[in-house]
Amino acid sequence: MSTFKDYINGYAFGIKSLLIGMRTSMKVFMQKKITERYPENRHTTLYIPERHRAMLVMPKDENGNNKCIACGLCQMACPNGTIRITSETRETEDGKKKKFLVKYEYDLGACMFCQLCVNACPHDAIRFSNHFENAVFERDKLILTLNE
Amino acid sequence: MFDYYNLEPVLMWIHSTMCGLMPEWLAFTIEGIAVGIFIMVMYAVLAIILIYMERKVCAAFQCRIGPDRVGGRGGLLQVPADVIKILTKEIISLKNSDKFLYALAPFLVIMASILTFSCLPWNKGGEILHMNIGIFFVLAASSIGVLGILLAGWSSNSKYTLIGAVRSGAMIISYELSIGLSVLTMVILCGTMDIQEIVAYQENGWNIFKGHLPALMAFVIYLIAGNAEANRAPFDLAEAEQELTAGYHTEYSGMHFGFFYLAEYLNLFITAGIAVTLFLGGWMPLHIAGLEGFNTIMDYIPGVIWFVGKTFFVVFLLMWIRWTFPRLRIDQVLILEWKYLMPLSLLVLVIMTVMKVFGLVF
Amino acid sequence: MFSLFEIAFYAVALCIIVFSVLAVTTSSILRSATYLLFVLLGTGGIYAILGYTFLSAVQLMVYAGGIIVLYVFSILLTRSSGTMKYKIRRGKMISVLLTTLVGMALVMFILATNGFALNIIPQGVELPVEKIGNALIGTEKYQFVLPFEVMSVLLLACMIGAIMIARKRN
Repeated sequence: MSTFKDYINGYAFGIKSLLIGMRTSMKVFMQKKITERYPENRHTTLYIPERHRAMLVMPKDENGNNKCIACGLCQMACPNGTIRITSETRETEDGKKKKFLVKYEYDLGACMFCQLCVNACPHDAIRFSNHFENAVFERDKLILTLNE
Repeated sequence: MFDYYNLEPVLMWIHSTMCGLMPEWLAFTIEGIAVGIFIMVMYAVLAIILIYMERKVCAAFQCRIGPDRVGGRGGLLQVPADVIKILTKEIISLKNSDKFLYALAPFLVIMASILTFSCLPWNKGGEILHMNIGIFFVLAASSIGVLGILLAGWSSNSKYTLIGAVRSGAMIISYELSIGLSVLTMVILCGTMDIQEIVAYQENGWNIFKGHLPALMAFVIYLIAGNAEANRAPFDLAEAEQELTAGYHTEYSGMHFGFFYLAEYLNLFITAGIAVTLFLGGWMPLHIAGLEGFNTIMDYIPGVIWFVGKTFFVVFLLMWIRWTFPRLRIDQVLILEWKYLMPLSLLVLVIMTVMKVFGLVF
Repeated sequence: MFSLFEIAFYAVALCIIVFSVLAVTTSSILRSATYLLFVLLGTGGIYAILGYTFLSAVQLMVYAGGIIVLYVFSILLTRSSGTMKYKIRRGKMISVLLTTLVGMALVMFILATNGFALNIIPQGVELPVEKIGNALIGTEKYQFVLPFEVMSVLLLACMIGAIMIARKRN
């Protein structure tokens, strides 16, 4: 007799769980869809998180000066050899010798976005931006000069 | 009162005019060819609509949008583009396989599907194949399809196809019982097997209201078994992608595959159409007792719109089931049929008979 | 001039003849089963032409749908040697020919005495299902309740036997 009871209970349990499943999927059906229509929405609703690492940049202040002191720590920190700094030593007005940045070359094609360079920088001169549309037709164009 | 849209006088007028212009056999031949072309065109158009609907509904159930690039914002040309692609693909032939049976199998599947398709009651006087055992013929004709699947599986000479075909065969033979019993329940309620008469019986109320509890249970059983008969998830273990690549049609390409694909979607439509005929009143409009004005307005909507609308509603129900539940294993499928659905449908059959005898139905 | 029904009859009859010959001459067993399917479909077609659509649908469902599937299953699940080309002995050949001739003579005799069924049965009229149902469960003359019940007892016995064989022993 108990097997018959189990059978009936199994029936009821099965139907109940099926109905719960159907209710759940109907909820999703009614929900707002989360698909991004990418090329159309790039100027409207496209949202890329602030901390997304897509490209190394060197922010400039309003006079066009950057904070880089050409110390080369980022170049040394980079595991891929992505950054190449060219610097020269100039004499300042008060007679001290000081390094100045000439060219800050960054190879986007070799970068693996580990953020070690940003962490190494003592003056917060570089950071990652979330500008992600970086596709180009030639490799040479991926080598960027950041201090210009 | 439904005579605004009765197709029979129009068709009779066409036939008599044609007989006036030419000998009768020529008229019959031309009409036959015209009807055949009509069926083929409807078949293709409906398949395109259903595939588009499936992709959109599936997307919505997964919180996506679905196709929306090809052909404007709605993606309306996506499926026609796919159809053209499949038409231009090469039909391959296999080494060490039975070429004749390999080529025959898709046609058996599509033949069964078209035979049942032509039995659907589209409108008053708008049934293509009309016989007084209509619904029984539908069951009989749909049972040929499984042969095509079995032959396809065997003649491809591949382990995946054979396993898929045998699974599908076992499943369809089992679920035919439940379908047959639930159809029989409604035949008992209506007292006829003629499809047009079954629809006409529902003039004062659809069967699902007339037969209340047993009819509702039969409806649910029919939907489950019909889903299995159409080889769709959660009963798609014959073409389980993860285990069998594509099941019985793994080795088919181009339009041969297209036939299987077409038949799958049209079987979905036919299952829904038969469900509408048996339970939801076919082309009969919705009437609510007491609301005369409402009923009159409903009468002005043509029957074909009612039929197609209700059918697409049932198709949506089936898609809802398809995109909600995970696939069953073969033993679970057979347990569901033999231990749960079959006893239940026998019980429903007995209840319906008793209620019909004692006049407990409306 | 042939009527439409006669043309349909001859077309179906030709199909049946061609496919029955193919079914016994082909060397692959699955092809043979497929040709047999077409023969059975043709038989269903003949019933439909005679207006006996119920029997036609039964033919389609029971034979084409059921029996053939069982055939195909048993062929798929058993090992078969690819070809079926056997040497036929002379004695066998003669007996086969004799049987065929006797069968043909019988059919010819029946045809000669009764004529074609098409000429007896009204054309294009379907046999109503109520009539078939009453004949199956009536007790009067030309009604068949006893064979019907005997058949159902036989099927029940078959089913019980199948369950006895298939059930787990514990």
